[in-house]
Amino acid sequence: MNIFLLSLAIIIVGGTLPLVTCRNMAVAKGLYLGVTLLGCITGLTALFSTSANLLGATWSWSWLHSFSLAFACDALSFFFLMPIFLICPLAVIYSFAYFDKEENSLRTAVSFFCTNVLIVAMALVTVAANILSFALVWEIMSLSSYILVMYNYEKADTRKAGYLYFLFAQAGAMLIFAAFGVAFSHTGSLQFSEFAAIPAEAKLFVFFLAFLGFASKAGVFPLHVWLPHAHPAAPSHISAIMSGVMIKMGIYGILRVYFLLASSDLLIGQVVLVFGMVSGVLGVLYALGKHNLKKLLAYHSVENIGIILIGAGLGMIGVAKGDVAMAGFGFAGSLLHVFNHSVFKSLLFFGAGAVIKKTGTSHVDELGGLMKRMPITGRTFLIGSVSISGLPPFSGFVSEFLVYFSAFNGLKHNHATLLLIILAIISLTVIGGLASFCFTKVVGVVFLGEPRTDRAAQAGEVSRLLTLPMAILAALCLAIGVFPQSFIHLAFAGFTGLLQIGSVDAAMIDTVGTNLALGSRLFLLIFFTVLLFRKLLYRNKVIAKGPTWGCGFTRGTARMQYTGTSYARSVVSFFRPFAIVRESKVQLVKIFPGKTEFHSRVDDIAEVGMQHGLALPLLTLLGKFRWIQHGKVQLYIGYIILAISVILLVSFI
Amino acid sequence: MESFCTIALAFLLAPLYPGIILKVKALFAGKKGPPLLIKYYTLLKLLHKGSVYSTSTTFVFRLGPLVSCAGAMMILLFFPLGGISPIFSFHGDVIVLFYILGIGRFFTISAALDTASPFEGMGAAREAFFGTLAEASIFAILILFYRMTGALSFSDYFIGAKSISLDGTAGALLLLVIVSLFMVLLTENSRVPVDDPATHLELTMIHEVMILDHSGPDLALIELGSFYKLFFYSAFIFLIVCPFNAAWGLFNLPVFFVGISLVYVAIGLVESGMARFKMNLVPKFVLTSLILVSFAAILTMEFIK
Repeated sequence: MNIFLLSLAIIIVGGTLPLVTCRNMAVAKGLYLGVTLLGCITGLTALFSTSANLLGATWSWSWLHSFSLAFACDALSFFFLMPIFLICPLAVIYSFAYFDKEENSLRTAVSFFCTNVLIVAMALVTVAANILSFALVWEIMSLSSYILVMYNYEKADTRKAGYLYFLFAQAGAMLIFAAFGVAFSHTGSLQFSEFAAIPAEAKLFVFFLAFLGFASKAGVFPLHVWLPHAHPAAPSHISAIMSGVMIKMGIYGILRVYFLLASSDLLIGQVVLVFGMVSGVLGVLYALGKHNLKKLLAYHSVENIGIILIGAGLGMIGVAKGDVAMAGFGFAGSLLHVFNHSVFKSLLFFGAGAVIKKTGTSHVDELGGLMKRMPITGRTFLIGSVSISGLPPFSGFVSEFLVYFSAFNGLKHNHATLLLIILAIISLTVIGGLASFCFTKVVGVVFLGEPRTDRAAQAGEVSRLLTLPMAILAALCLAIGVFPQSFIHLAFAGFTGLLQIGSVDAAMIDTVGTNLALGSRLFLLIFFTVLLFRKLLYRNKVIAKGPTWGCGFTRGTARMQYTGTSYARSVVSFFRPFAIVRESKVQLVKIFPGKTEFHSRVDDIAEVGMQHGLALPLLTLLGKFRWIQHGKVQLYIGYIILAISVILLVSFI
Repeated sequence: MESFCTIALAFLLAPLYPGIILKVKALFAGKKGPPLLIKYYTLLKLLHKGSVYSTSTTFVFRLGPLVSCAGAMMILLFFPLGGISPIFSFHGDVIVLFYILGIGRFFTISAALDTASPFEGMGAAREAFFGTLAEASIFAILILFYRMTGALSFSDYFIGAKSISLDGTAGALLLLVIVSLFMVLLTENSRVPVDDPATHLELTMIHEVMILDHSGPDLALIELGSFYKLFFYSAFIFLIVCPFNAAWGLFNLPVFFVGISLVYVAIGLVESGMARFKMNLVPKFVLTSLILVSFAAILTMEFIK
C-alpha cells in the first residue's frame, strides 16, 4: 500500500513541477514527463509486485476531526487501477510532443497539473471505501477533467462543450450522492461495507439512482450527450484519457454499487442489459452518421460502454438466476472489454490527434490517402480499427466472445429472460457489424484512396514521441488477441470473492482461453501460409502500375471518391426515425444552373429530445422568475432574512 | 487421417460446383453453356498472369484477397464435411468462425475503398450494409441451434450426441432455418436476387464492382475464397436437410459430395427464374430471413422446456 501512495505522491509532484518552472517550457516538459512516468511505473510496481501486497490493503485518515476518509483495495479496484497506470503514462508521453506551442506555456503547465490530479483522483476513486472519500475524489476527478476539456477556452465550441460536461458531471454526481443519502438513511453508517444491510426495496431505489448518476459519467444512452461535444473540444491525449479511462469510472461505480448491495433482483440485470443494448446500437449508428473524426470516436465510446453494460447485465441476470457460468462470463467479458476498450480507444484517439495535428482538420471528408503519408499512424490506426470492430485475432474479439459465451449460456432460461437474451445476442451482432461498417469508413476515407484536399496531400508522419505510444498500444491489441488466456484470467480475477453464487470452474475458463488462442493463432497460421503461397505465385511475374479503372471514364478526380457521408447514407437512413437525417441540396435546374450544393447531417435523438423536452421548457419556466433577480442589494438581503426566518420557523414548530 | 483427406477433397472440388450453377442457367436459357470445369480453367488462367496495381493503392489493397481467402479456408477446417469429424472443433467455434468471415469482409471493403474509385466505394457500402444484416440472421440461427442442441460448434450440430435433425422434437422449426439460411447464402455469396454476378453495369453490382481492380493471382485468391465460402454455406444447408447417417459409415462421403450439388442446382434454379431485386428491396429480403429464424427461436419456448 505504501508504494501505491508513494506513486500517487510522485505523480502529484510531477504535476506541480511544470507550474513552478513554466517560464522555461523545455525544462518544465522534461521534468513533467520524467517524474510522471516514474510515478506511473511505481504505481504499476505497486500493482504487480507481490511484496507491495496491494490487494486487501486498507487505510484511513481522519478529516476535519469528525469524519474519516477510508480507502481499501479489493479485486475490482485492482482491475480498474490497471488501465489507469497503463494508459495515462502513454498519454503523458504523447502530450510531450503534442503541446509544442511555446506561447501557451502557463496554460500547458496548468493542463499538465490537472492531468496528474485527474490520474490521482481516478486511482483514488477505485479504492475509496466510504461515502465521504468517494464523494471527495469523485468531485476532484470531475472538476480536474472539466479544466482539461477547457484547454482551448477561447473557442466558443469548447466553452459550450465544457459547460455541457460540467452540467452532466454535476447532475450525475447529485444522483450518486442522493443514492448514497438513501443508503445512509437506512444504515446510519458512512462505510460502503454496510450497504448490504439495506432492505430489499430500498436496494432497488439506491441502485437505480446510482446507476443513472454513474451512467451520465460513463456515457450511457441517453445521458451520453456531453461525450460527443467534450471529446472533440479537448486535446487528443485528454480525449484518450477521458474516453479510455475516466468514463470507465462510471462503469466501476455501477459494478461497485451492484456488488456492495449484493441484491439478486432480476430487474437490475434486465434494466442494465436494456440500457446496454440501446447504447450499443444507437452509439454505433450515430458514429456512422458523424463525420468529425473525434466526434465519431466519442460515439464509439457510447457503443463500447453499451457492450460493457450488456456483459454486466448478463452477469447480473446470471446472478439472479443462480447461473454461475452465465454470471461469471458476463462479468468477465464486461471487465475485459473495459480493459480492451481503454487500449484501443486511446490508440484511436492518439491516431486521430496525429491526423488533426498534421492536416488541421478533423472532418473525414476532407482527408484521404494518409496511409502513404503517415505510415505508422495509418498502420496502428488500422489495428485499432480492427480491434474495436471486435474482429479476431485482435483484442476486441476476446471480450466480445466472453459476452457472447455468457449470453448463449443464458439461452436455457425461458420467458422474458430468453427474449432479452435473444435481443442481446442480435444487438451484439448488429453492433459488431455496424462497428466494422463504421471503421471501414474511417480507415477507407481517411487513410486510403487519394487525398481530397491539399492539406491532406501535404501531410507527413508525426514525431517519434507521438507514434511510440500508438505502436505500444497496437502491439498490446494483437498480444491480447493471440495470448488471450492470461488476460481472461485477469478479468476473472477482477471479481473474485464478489460473486455471491460461487465462482466459475477454473478448468472451463482455461478451455475457453486455449480455444480462443487456437482460433486466432490458426487464423494467423493460415494467413501466413496463404501469404507465402502468394509470394510463390508472384515469382517472375510482371507487375505493372496504372491508374484505377474508371469504368470507361478517363478523367477521374479525387473529389469523385465515395465520401464518408455517401458511404454511410443507406444504413443511416435505414435506421430512421432513431437517426434524424437532415439533407438540403441545390440541384441542377434549367439550362443555366447555379452552383450545386449538398448538405447532410445526422442528429442525435437524445440530444434533440433533451433540448426540446427538457432544456427549453425549463428555460421558459425559469425565465418567468427572472424578476426575482433585479440587482437591488437591499432586497437581496431581505431575501436572506426571509429565508432564515422561514427555516427557523419550520425547524422550531 | 479421414479428416485431412476430406478437407483436401473439399479444397480441390469446391471450384467444380459453381460450374453446375452455370450449366443449370444455360439449360434454362436453351444454351449449351460453358464446360463444367470452367472455374478451374479460370483459376489457371489467372494464376499464370501478372498483376496491375493502381497507383492509388497501398498494402491494404493486397491484404484484401489474402484475408478473405484465409478466412474462408479456416471455416472449412472446422466443418464436419460428410459427417467426418473436422480437424479442429471446440465449444464456441461458430462464433469465432463467423467473425473470421467478418474480418475477411472488413479487408475486402477496405481494399475496395483503397482504389479511390467511386464505383468500388458504392459496392463497398452495399456489401457492408447487407453483410451486417445477414450476420444478424446467422446469429439468430445459432441461437435456435443452441436452444435445440445446447451446442456451439459445427461438429456438435451435425455429429454430436444431440445433433439436429428434421425428425427431432423441434424438427419442424428447421424448415424455417433452411429457407432463411438459403436467403443468407444468396446474400453472402452475391447471388441473384441480391446481386448479379453476371451483370455488365458497374452501378448495379455489389461484390463484382469491389474487386474490379484486382488482377492475376490476387483475383484468383478472391475467386477461390468465394468458392470455399459458397461451398461452406451449401454444405451447411445440405447437412440440415440430409444429416449424417451413422449406419452408412464412409458411404456418407459420396452422398455428401454428390448431394451438395443439389444446393447449387437450387441456386441455379433461383437465378434462372428470378431477376435481381431493386437495391432498396434487398434489406427487406435479408430481414425476412432474420424474422423467420427469430420466430423459430421464440417458438422453441413451447417445444423445448
